[in-house]
Amino acid sequence: MATQSPTQNQNQGAESAEPAANVDQQGATEEPVKQSSTPLVFVNSEPMREEQVQNAVKFLSHPKVKGSPVMYRRSFLERKGLTKEEIDEAFRRVPDSAPTVQTGGVTQDGQVKSSSNIQQQAQPQALQPGLPASAGVNTSSATLSRSRFHWSHALIAIGVLAASGAGTAIVVKNSILPRLKSWIRKVVVEEDDEELKKLDRKPTLVEEAAQAAKSAAAAAADVAKASQDMLISKEEERKHFVEVVSLLDMQVQEMKSMTNALRRIEAQEDLRVTQTNTKQLIVNGKADYDLHSVRSTSPPVSYEPPSSLHPKSYMEIMNMVQRGEKPSNTRPWEVSQVQNSSTQVPHAQGNGEYLNSKVQDSTQSNGDGDDALPWWQRKNARIREIGNETEYNGNGSSYGVASNQPPPQRTWVPPQPPPIAMAEAAEAIRRPKPAAQKDQMSDTQSVGNSSDVSDEVTRIPRRSESEGAVEGGSSSSIPSTVEIQEDQELRRE
Amino acid sequence: MPVFKTPFNGYSVKFSPFYEDRLAVATAQNFGILGNGRLHVLSLSPNPSQPFTEIAAYDTADGVYDVAWSESHDSLLVAAVADGSVKLYDTALPPTSNPIRSLREHTREVHSADYNPLRRDSFLTSSWDDTVKLWTLDRPSSLRTFKEHSYCVYSAVWNPRHADVFASASGDCTLRVWDVREPSSTMVFPPHELEVLTCDWNKYDDCIIATASVDKSIKVWDVRSFRVPIAVMNGHGYAVRKVRFSPHVRNLMVSCSYDMTVCVWDFMVEDALVSRYDHHTEFAVGVDMSVLVEGLMASTGWDELVYVWQHGTDPRAP
Repeated sequence: MATQSPTQNQNQGAESAEPAANVDQQGATEEPVKQSSTPLVFVNSEPMREEQVQNAVKFLSHPKVKGSPVMYRRSFLERKGLTKEEIDEAFRRVPDSAPTVQTGGVTQDGQVKSSSNIQQQAQPQALQPGLPASAGVNTSSATLSRSRFHWSHALIAIGVLAASGAGTAIVVKNSILPRLKSWIRKVVVEEDDEELKKLDRKPTLVEEAAQAAKSAAAAAADVAKASQDMLISKEEERKHFVEVVSLLDMQVQEMKSMTNALRRIEAQEDLRVTQTNTKQLIVNGKADYDLHSVRSTSPPVSYEPPSSLHPKSYMEIMNMVQRGEKPSNTRPWEVSQVQNSSTQVPHAQGNGEYLNSKVQDSTQSNGDGDDALPWWQRKNARIREIGNETEYNGNGSSYGVASNQPPPQRTWVPPQPPPIAMAEAAEAIRRPKPAAQKDQMSDTQSVGNSSDVSDEVTRIPRRSESEGAVEGGSSSSIPSTVEIQEDQELRRE
Repeated sequence: MPVFKTPFNGYSVKFSPFYEDRLAVATAQNFGILGNGRLHVLSLSPNPSQPFTEIAAYDTADGVYDVAWSESHDSLLVAAVADGSVKLYDTALPPTSNPIRSLREHTREVHSADYNPLRRDSFLTSSWDDTVKLWTLDRPSSLRTFKEHSYCVYSAVWNPRHADVFASASGDCTLRVWDVREPSSTMVFPPHELEVLTCDWNKYDDCIIATASVDKSIKVWDVRSFRVPIAVMNGHGYAVRKVRFSPHVRNLMVSCSYDMTVCVWDFMVEDALVSRYDHHTEFAVGVDMSVLVEGLMASTGWDELVYVWQHGTDPRAP
């Protein structure tokens, strides 16, 4: 109660001033002009509400509240709208609650001194004879009982633990161990049975392996036969091919003779015709070759975003911090010396001086026209007009007021599309659905494109695989050779 | 309208009381959770191709949560840093000698800084260690510590008419009005049921104060009759982070919120919302109205952008 006295004096002083203030303010609610009266304005200048004080007393007398820190009690009452005087009065009426009156620290040591004072307060307060003795005894016994309670609580806990340990030991011995033993016996018996079974199985495995080997050998023999047939057929085809080539050569020779005759007979127009025909053939052949090469050499392009620039979201950073990690882009900073700022400052200072002179020039030449005004000083008239207007737009206006107001000299320009900075992000946030759909569309398109490319790329190896499958997969001999021949002939054609 | 992209997430923006084309931006890395911070001093230029020039940039070891311009020297800045220190910067000095002072007394993050506009020699800092501290430029330690709140003090603002009166808004859901000459707070009342994130005094009526809270509402109070608010303004979709009264129009105020919008209100009118700007793509955390240029306002947010525009125009128009 010792350190409460200065605050009580303060409060009494304030209270004595308050009735005067109340009288003044009940008369006329005017702003006080003199500075000496400012404390009266910024004070809870209401009389104490007895109801509130009684509610606070009930609150403070509650046993649960008495277990809580004093600061919480005070802040709770403040949050309920009690004025300081009402709170102090309530604390006064509930005697054994020691409000920590933390007045504004007078010096830097104020906090330390106040805390020590509070501790000293608590002890004399508990022992004051002015307090009802029962309350004091109750508090002391409560504290003592709390302390004993701690010890007894610990003893009980130890006893319970020991009993539970003994009980579990007994239970284990009596019931669980025999079960374990029987289970182990069962397992051992099963293992013996399994060993016998394994021995039986082993010959079967061997037999199976032998059978598999035999079948593999048979398949290999078939493959060898098929390959031999292939070779024979190839040789036959080569013979046929040679015959065909010879026939063709004969035809070519005949053709040459024909053309020679034509040349002799006709003029240069025939030459041109043949030359253009041959050029077209060459061009077509080259084009095919180019397409072929493009398809074979175009693997699907993979795009890797730059991982260093990936911006992390708020939740990611919070999770990192809670896990104890540090975000990677922080630097330990001893002194705020920046190489960047050192290079920028001289440049910027030069700019700043230039700008200042420029601004002065612009303000001097204010009457020249709009161009001389910096952009942020324009449209001042607009603001005054808005201030004079009594009607305002509702909540619908998104980009300012002036859409419905009569434009004076300067008309309201419809908002331009946002600049490049953060435009994509803004659009993405604004229109999530079409953006998502567009993304899905683009994703499907891109997937389709990539799949087409990959299909073209893999067509050739697939063709080769199909060739191999056709050639080697079949087991029958004669009909397979016929099929092979037919396939190859088809491909040639 | 110009846009400035900061490398870190923006936290606060303040116009200079001396130069109408100058403003300071407080930024913090990784949304202010962990990492470095940077204090930018920007200058607006009439050149449309390069609307912003960076006069200075100061790096700090921890995020900068708020900045305040000095009223006595045109180049002095006070930065509220998340490691509990208060740093003074002088843009007229070379960067090697900055910060000119680092004041370490708060035990937790310093959330706001405000300079006394009348006495011009002292400033307040409020912190998450439940205290508000009063400092002067010449002293290396604080003059006073005001410790009555029971939770983080988010904002401490000087009264523009009374040189010794200030208000503090705290996470314990109360607003306290203090007089520096008094040992303890002179007024305390709960303006909201949830945490009060910001407060500001009306520039034309010295008894009117606005508070905004996590409960998405802005309330305007007369401290002489603080039981019932003068006006309650709903309309934000999420917690309101900052409220500022206009220095030019009596009833106009601007607020920014976690719903990524900046709203302008007239609290004396029934339909109070004057305009809404949703140019930010992340939490809009800092907003300020210029004292020297009527209608000019600036805002910044966690999307690392600083916008400066005239009231009534589109902040994103080029």
